[in-house]
Amino acid sequence: MDSLLSVFPSKDFSLLGIILAAPLLGAFVNGVWGRRLGRDAVRLMAITAIAVSFGAALLTFLALDREVTHAGHGHVKLAWTAWDWLYTTGKSETQIPIALRFSVDALSGVMMLVITGVGLLIHIYASTYMWDDKSYWRFFCYLNLFVFSMLVLVLGDNMPLLFVGWEGVGLCSYLLIGFWYGKMANAAAGKKAFIANRIGDFGLICAMFLFVHYTGALDWNGIEAGSGSLVTVNEATQVHVWPIGGGQFTGFLKFLQPDSPITITAATAVGLALLLGATGKSAQIPLYVWLPDAMAGPTPVSALIHAATMVTAGIYLICRLNFVFVLAPGVMATVAVIGAATAFLAATIALVQNDIKKVLAYSTVSQLGFMFLGVGMGAFTAGFFHVFTHAFFKACLFLGAGSVIHGMHARIHDDDKAQDMRKMGGLRKYMPLTFWTFLISTAAIVGFPLTSGFFSKDEILFKTMTTELVHPDAERLGKKVTFVQSLWGARDPSHFYVPPAWLGTALYWVGIAAATMTAFYMSRVVILTFFGEFRGWKLGRPSQIDAHEAAAHDDAHGDDAHGDDDGEHHHEEDLTKPGYAPHESPRPMTIPLILLAVFAAFAGILNPGLLKHFGLPLPLEHWLEPLFEESVKVGVHAKEGAEHMELMCTAGAFGAFAVGVGLAYWVYVVQKGAPAKQWAEAAPKLYKLLLDKWRVDEAYEASVLSGVDALADTATSVDKGVVDGILARLTALLVAAFGTILRALQTGVVHVYAGMMVVGLAGLGWFFVMPHPDGHVVEKGSGDYSIVAAPGVGYGYIWAEDGAKKPEKEVFSGTAAFPLHVEPGNTKKVELKVRNAFGIVGTKTFEVTAPAKAAPAEVIEMGQNGHGS
Amino acid sequence: MLLQAFAISPLLMVGIGAMLLMMAEAFSKVRGGLALGAAAVCFAGVACAAGVWMYGVETIPGIDAFSPWLRVDRFSLFFDALLCLGAGLSCLMAGGYLPEHNLDRGEFYSLLLLSTFGAMILSAAGDVLTLFLGLETMSLGVYCLAAFRRASARSSEGALKYFLLGSFAAALLLYGFALLYGVTGHTDLQGIGDAMAKGNIRNPMAIMGLVLILVGLAFKVSAVPFHMWTPDAYEGAPTPATNFMAVAVKGAAFAMMLRVLLTAFGDPRSASWASGWPPALAWIAVITMTVANLVAGRQESVKRMLAYSSVAHAGYILVGMVATMHSATQASAGVLFYLLTYTVSTAGAFGALILCGRRGAEAVTYEDLAGIGRRHPAAALPFAFFLLSLAGVPPTAGFFGKWFVFRSAMEGGFYWLTIIAFINSVIGAYYYLRVLVFMYMREPAAGAPVATPMRSGYVTAALILSAVLVIALGLTPTKSLSVVFQAAAIFGG
Repeated sequence: MDSLLSVFPSKDFSLLGIILAAPLLGAFVNGVWGRRLGRDAVRLMAITAIAVSFGAALLTFLALDREVTHAGHGHVKLAWTAWDWLYTTGKSETQIPIALRFSVDALSGVMMLVITGVGLLIHIYASTYMWDDKSYWRFFCYLNLFVFSMLVLVLGDNMPLLFVGWEGVGLCSYLLIGFWYGKMANAAAGKKAFIANRIGDFGLICAMFLFVHYTGALDWNGIEAGSGSLVTVNEATQVHVWPIGGGQFTGFLKFLQPDSPITITAATAVGLALLLGATGKSAQIPLYVWLPDAMAGPTPVSALIHAATMVTAGIYLICRLNFVFVLAPGVMATVAVIGAATAFLAATIALVQNDIKKVLAYSTVSQLGFMFLGVGMGAFTAGFFHVFTHAFFKACLFLGAGSVIHGMHARIHDDDKAQDMRKMGGLRKYMPLTFWTFLISTAAIVGFPLTSGFFSKDEILFKTMTTELVHPDAERLGKKVTFVQSLWGARDPSHFYVPPAWLGTALYWVGIAAATMTAFYMSRVVILTFFGEFRGWKLGRPSQIDAHEAAAHDDAHGDDAHGDDDGEHHHEEDLTKPGYAPHESPRPMTIPLILLAVFAAFAGILNPGLLKHFGLPLPLEHWLEPLFEESVKVGVHAKEGAEHMELMCTAGAFGAFAVGVGLAYWVYVVQKGAPAKQWAEAAPKLYKLLLDKWRVDEAYEASVLSGVDALADTATSVDKGVVDGILARLTALLVAAFGTILRALQTGVVHVYAGMMVVGLAGLGWFFVMPHPDGHVVEKGSGDYSIVAAPGVGYGYIWAEDGAKKPEKEVFSGTAAFPLHVEPGNTKKVELKVRNAFGIVGTKTFEVTAPAKAAPAEVIEMGQNGHGS
Repeated sequence: MLLQAFAISPLLMVGIGAMLLMMAEAFSKVRGGLALGAAAVCFAGVACAAGVWMYGVETIPGIDAFSPWLRVDRFSLFFDALLCLGAGLSCLMAGGYLPEHNLDRGEFYSLLLLSTFGAMILSAAGDVLTLFLGLETMSLGVYCLAAFRRASARSSEGALKYFLLGSFAAALLLYGFALLYGVTGHTDLQGIGDAMAKGNIRNPMAIMGLVLILVGLAFKVSAVPFHMWTPDAYEGAPTPATNFMAVAVKGAAFAMMLRVLLTAFGDPRSASWASGWPPALAWIAVITMTVANLVAGRQESVKRMLAYSSVAHAGYILVGMVATMHSATQASAGVLFYLLTYTVSTAGAFGALILCGRRGAEAVTYEDLAGIGRRHPAAALPFAFFLLSLAGVPPTAGFFGKWFVFRSAMEGGFYWLTIIAFINSVIGAYYYLRVLVFMYMREPAAGAPVATPMRSGYVTAALILSAVLVIALGLTPTKSLSVVFQAAAIFGG
């Protein structure tokens, strides 16, 4: 590793360039030549690109580890500046550089490994899963581009570069959700995802503006160095919420003006703006609605983008800027509350869904909620650890679901039906590898003891219970107020709000409830899919299957609908006829499953927080400590007796697991699903509400969207009537008419051309022969002004103040500047006569008004180009 | 002595290279390879200019020995490199175009190199006599190049018009210089400038001299209404020659304009916002942009559209020229950067147009290009890319070119001029995008002749070079900006 560091010094670690360039090259090659290259070459290119990237990432990680060991303690970074990109101007004309600079530290190092590692496995999986798709090359072009964008997001060393990656992954997500754009629903889902993300992006952009203004920097180090100025007791330098931007309401709007302006600290504003961005990308309330619909994309996409990597970008952002968030405990609490609420809400919806991918989608939303809960309560390591473990088990679950769907597609070609768990069952026998890997991942997500999810989720819940948020600047600031007071109470910028200590306890119980439901619905998925009898179609022996079916089966892969743009030509088969049982997926699909399952089972040893009393090390916590240490020290306070609560918290979490799984076993195995039906019948409205996902989409439709629609309709009618109808046609007509006229001048006759030159010469001559009297007024203060005439070759001037006597003989010998004194409130007129080199005279009159007060002078110019002798 | 020769090595390289190529063409029995030779000479010229630049031209002793006839400074070195780049790209295109269209006669390259030589003299001239010599050396070569398609009546017609009107303009320019010599007693620009600054001269004659010189300059940069030769000459000339005219001739003309106006007429009276050359140029810029863009939108021929587009770009550059009255260095740096981006984008567009056609089926009209995006994406994609750069779409070079010129105009306080330029670039986008519409969204009418792309390593090389430069200038404008600032620093202030 030392030799590696001698080739790539830590200040100029250009190996990062290779990590980034490989996927970009893959996307470029597949995008440009993919169609002609053929599937094998596309597959080779795509997988090689990610493999190279992963290899380089691994080397980078080892080099980073070496640097950390060398440095002992502290925040170690390997950085590489590709080039200086642009500059922007900050407060008081400071130049803020925006360099194309990438860096890797403990946090982004882990993310980078997850992205390239899980990305590689999913690429391998998808190379088989998507084999029959017509647009194979397009898929891998997008997928490689996604990996590139995600790496830019994670490795970028400043906000704008992160934003480039942020937008890049959004774009790729959009392209991949709508990958089968032939179907209206898919295209709509892509659009929905894009728009929801755009709302979040607005927050991110606002945050960047605030950073430039308050911290004077956009790179991580600069923001950290300048973050002190985000908290200020000076009301004038805080962010004015009402009136917006610190304006004043006057006139009839005066009633809107509060006694004192409502302000929040810049840290709060920037934190809320970042949070908006994070809720968009990471699918939290209120912007979570796009993620479940995003499952319209191919399953490997769901696994890579909408489970393992992209959706965790919001948590990455919060972890990255943890030192900003701890400055605003109110925002931290908001993050935690949003996380807990999302975890709970999504889990309730997942209880009743029948589409296997929908359940997994809501479970992803729910798990992301847990991560938010963790980072919101200041448990950055725990939250990030859940990102890490979730990447493995959720990717494995999605890929397993993909494998199941792949098997179902043998005879059910409609996507919605093939994903319906009511048609599955008993697949354990036919798809053993898929079953076991799915089971292991489920064990991880429901928190089966000693699996990865057990450690990460329980750590979050434990930290939630045992910490309270404090204000890092409490001593300097002054008075602590309640939440209500902080909004409507007496305004004093030195007041600050800190969430109450019971918040953690309350959120813990919400988390426990969500975890219980998680255990229930995940067990339900496993039971419905893999246990019991197969319900998809009638199974039969080969002898019972006619020749046609057999032939179709041989050709099953070539005919699978899941990889086709147009599922139109697929006739629905008669499922009452006997057919082959679903079969296990081919090896390129099962090997990634196995590897992911291994990680899902054992990744917990990287941070077995609950076992630290047994002397086990906590490598991840130690690894990330330099990043979060300071923030945790100042922003989070451990409750008294926290260490004694560990066992109790664990018991709670284990209870959640046991109750959820046990209940599911009782309902779906012992009672064969009867109680579920009874409950649904007992509370039909609630059941319907859950099935309809709390009708949040409909609520948005009725409130926000209808408003937007109305606005859009108005704009459309204006656009069609006024802009298109009158303005556009008029300008087009004018442009075309003038163009035609001017074109007619281009006769091709050389005399006309020469004639036009003469016209031009004459015009220029006219301009230079005519005098151009002009000038501007310079204020010298205390009523003194000077009118400075514009210079010209051979110009002579005469000045005449209004009312002054005209001299007998005009001599153009005046100076170019004319001094003038005007009493306040008075107006004076001055006439300027100019004679140019050709002896032609022009005049211009200036009117100078001195204001009553010391405001700038108002100057009215009354020019006219008079000319005479 | 040797160092002085080194200082003018770009000039020597191109001049001697042109002679050698002429000899080789006359006496060698081996055919072909001339394009490669000519391109190599040009890129060697670029390399020489870069070498002198990096050596530090100010540190060469006795560099003033050429003054005032030739000013060897960073400004002229920048233009040496720029003109050689444009010429080199034209040579590469000619290497593919001429054989394809049965025009492969060797004198093309010698003419082109001699013309480049004249253009380089022009950009370095500090005296009106060398300036005029350079101008005529450049123009004579270009007249021949424009007439190069002897079998085509259009080509001869366009060239003849160009020659007649060019002589007219040259006469006006010469007359202007003569008047200035009469009133100031100087032929060197610095001397004229000093005399104008002192002001004790016979002003009417000096002003008339300025007017005539402005007309001559406006003709060379093909500003409206002195532009009318442009579409005919551009359309008639073989496309590589068109490219040379659009890129190198125009670049040299702007170099001449910058030097003449800022050196000889840089005093506050001549450069007055009320009555000097800036308002005159501002009017010319407005008319140029507006007329060129309006007419370009009405063209059926893509080549003619590109001709008008080059006129429109001259208008944008003139906006930057106007801004030089407030901040000579910054605004002329903007002009130089614009010329750089304009050179690579235009060369790319002409190269792509060449690539889209072949013998007997040259791509000329919009209809010819219909559907080519689907049939031959490899030819259409670069075309689209360079047109986007010409339209000024980020992150291409064209965007930053416009950005810096418009910004210097805004900082100079020329708001209405900038607004008109903005509106014009919107109109401009219309006809650039129209090509894209035809290439990607239209299918050729049944039975209509369709253009099929040619294959040529030369043209491909020119396209790749331009594309790399367009992307590089668009993504990392900072480095090239520092270069143009150093080049523009000779004007001071």
